[in-house]
Amino acid sequence: MKKFLSVMIMVFAVLSFAACNGNQKDPIPTADPTNFNPDASSDAVNYYDLRDQLGAVPLLEGSYTFGGVAKAFENEYWRTLKTGMETGAAKFYEGGINVTIDMRSALGEGDQTGQLAIVQDMITRNYDAILVSPITDGNLVPGVEDALEAGIPVVNVNDGIVAIAPNFVGPNAYENGVLAANYIGEQLNGEGQVAIVTGMSGAFAARQRTLGFKETIEANFPNITVVEEQTANWSREEARNLANTWFTTYDGSTPEKTLDAIFCNNDTMALGVVEANEANDNVDPIIVGVDGISEAYDAIRDGKLDATVDSFPLFKGQIAVEMAIRILAGQAVPRVVHTPQALITTANVDQAATDIIQWTDPQIQTK
Amino acid sequence: MSKVNQMMKNVLKKFTWNNIKQAMASREGLLIISIFIIVGVFTIIDSVYIMPRNIVNILEQSVVNGFLAVGITFAIVLAGIDLSIGSIYALSIVFVSKFLVGGMNPFLAIGLGILVGAIFGGFNGVLISKLKLQPFIATLGTMSIYRGIAYIVTNGNPVLGIPTEYRQILNSNTFGSIVPVSIFLLIAFVIFTQIVLKKTRPGTYIYSVGGNEESAFLSGIKIDRIKILGYAISGIGGAIAGMILLAQLGTGEPIAGSGAELNAIAATAIGGTSLAGGKGSPIAAFLGAILLSALKVGLIVAMVPTFWQYVATGAIIIVAASVEIIQKRLKSSTT
Repeated sequence: MKKFLSVMIMVFAVLSFAACNGNQKDPIPTADPTNFNPDASSDAVNYYDLRDQLGAVPLLEGSYTFGGVAKAFENEYWRTLKTGMETGAAKFYEGGINVTIDMRSALGEGDQTGQLAIVQDMITRNYDAILVSPITDGNLVPGVEDALEAGIPVVNVNDGIVAIAPNFVGPNAYENGVLAANYIGEQLNGEGQVAIVTGMSGAFAARQRTLGFKETIEANFPNITVVEEQTANWSREEARNLANTWFTTYDGSTPEKTLDAIFCNNDTMALGVVEANEANDNVDPIIVGVDGISEAYDAIRDGKLDATVDSFPLFKGQIAVEMAIRILAGQAVPRVVHTPQALITTANVDQAATDIIQWTDPQIQTK
Repeated sequence: MSKVNQMMKNVLKKFTWNNIKQAMASREGLLIISIFIIVGVFTIIDSVYIMPRNIVNILEQSVVNGFLAVGITFAIVLAGIDLSIGSIYALSIVFVSKFLVGGMNPFLAIGLGILVGAIFGGFNGVLISKLKLQPFIATLGTMSIYRGIAYIVTNGNPVLGIPTEYRQILNSNTFGSIVPVSIFLLIAFVIFTQIVLKKTRPGTYIYSVGGNEESAFLSGIKIDRIKILGYAISGIGGAIAGMILLAQLGTGEPIAGSGAELNAIAATAIGGTSLAGGKGSPIAAFLGAILLSALKVGLIVAMVPTFWQYVATGAIIIVAASVEIIQKRLKSSTT
């Protein structure tokens, strides 16, 4: 049995070596068509600019059914995106374009194959366009391949990123981090120690938001140091536990032991940190989240959360539907359409979203 | 008219209650009948369900879960469990992706992928037999360790650029591009494991160890070896499932398969494998996986609202498990 064990350990060592080695020898080239980063795309246009460029939405003849596939309706964010897409379809319907949308989601953010089955079902039903927010970068790839093969346009809304999808509509995730970093930097007068609570390792939004935050701090605020960076897997509970640990380590006794700000990759985690912060008297960090869920707005009103970066899923959903219509009408929609986002603080928390992002409904061509 | 009536009567005679009862008395027969009922019901609700595209979809989904379910059957027959099977699945995905991106021959990469499953699965067996750890605890631990290794190897990022050559080997369709090739691989795996369990000495020992470890030990069976073998096969099931998913997706994600162990356990339980050990078969697990996929896809096709799908899935698992009891009654009434 010892022999068996040692053989196993040896084989394992060789395998790990082979795996790591392969990585060093053949790094994936960044120009690889399968490796796509919408934040860094050269074919990216801001939504309002695109609207100016393309003009009124073409009046499509005939009737259209769109399919929308969200990650999980358990999360308010995706329910809001659903409302956004349905609102968009309803507005265009009123405007004379006969379009309806069937919005569905997977059974939780772990149901990768279930989400794929939904896309497959929509292809079988011959929907006219499919709008997807994949759970991971890969789980809907076979479905998107099949849809494109069947001639159905696919719009990738938000993350995960489907490299082969012809169009992406969503906020610039890197910019999320930039907005948060600039706010924190100004609030701290360019000095202090900050921590980052990141989302699930490897998730596109988590990577880009963190990167945008760190690079902005480094470039604009050289006297601010990022002292901690840990994942809480998008979970409120994990974020709360993590913050509790930090508040024990950073007890404010010396300048090295203070924590002046905590940036969280989403609001759910920020609210977990807020909860931990309620029981902490030692340090008083600025807490910033991303997403703009309603609970975060309430927490800002109550003065418990300092800011969130809202990417307005209600309007993003409408924009996604608009882009699908433009694509079906044969207009050239760029590879990436960046949707509006804004920093929400006590200063504008009660302002209407339409004012904050200066939203007006798109014009529809008349006959 | 009377002739038609006569014919009908003759046909009906063949479907006597006793015949049906006999078919239902075997677990496999019952599963097949249940699958037909599910397919029938969903086809009536929406004929889209029976379309070839949709059947491919059901089969593709059941292939991945089928490999996991057949694998975990070995752990469960041994009166254990393999919670790490979803992580082994992810490990095979990331290792094989790395091999392929590094330019390795696809067949060699597949071979090494199977080895990855055997090693990490076998390691579970070592922990359980040599350290006498509870299978639930041991594999709960390795579930996290293996997932961690998958993240470490890839630094948390998906591995991109899987060669199409590899994807074609494990993910193409035959027979008018309706039947995925991978279903035949699963059937081969089911037959192979069924023979191992039912016809070979180690297989018999697996049942004995799972049924009564004490008496198996007293009759001179080398329990440790049998356990390591059983968990290694479980790992191999996980590894092959991972390699097939990799071929389907074309992206090697370390996050893949989190929660997959629960689907595998569900399929196995629907197949009638008792979690108490000593009973169960790969064929039943395979049919359980098909039934589960048929149901899940059916709920999507029938446009059951998302939140109700949770309720429906859970209810079916409970109904399927309670069939065991009904079946026992039927058995006693036919004899």
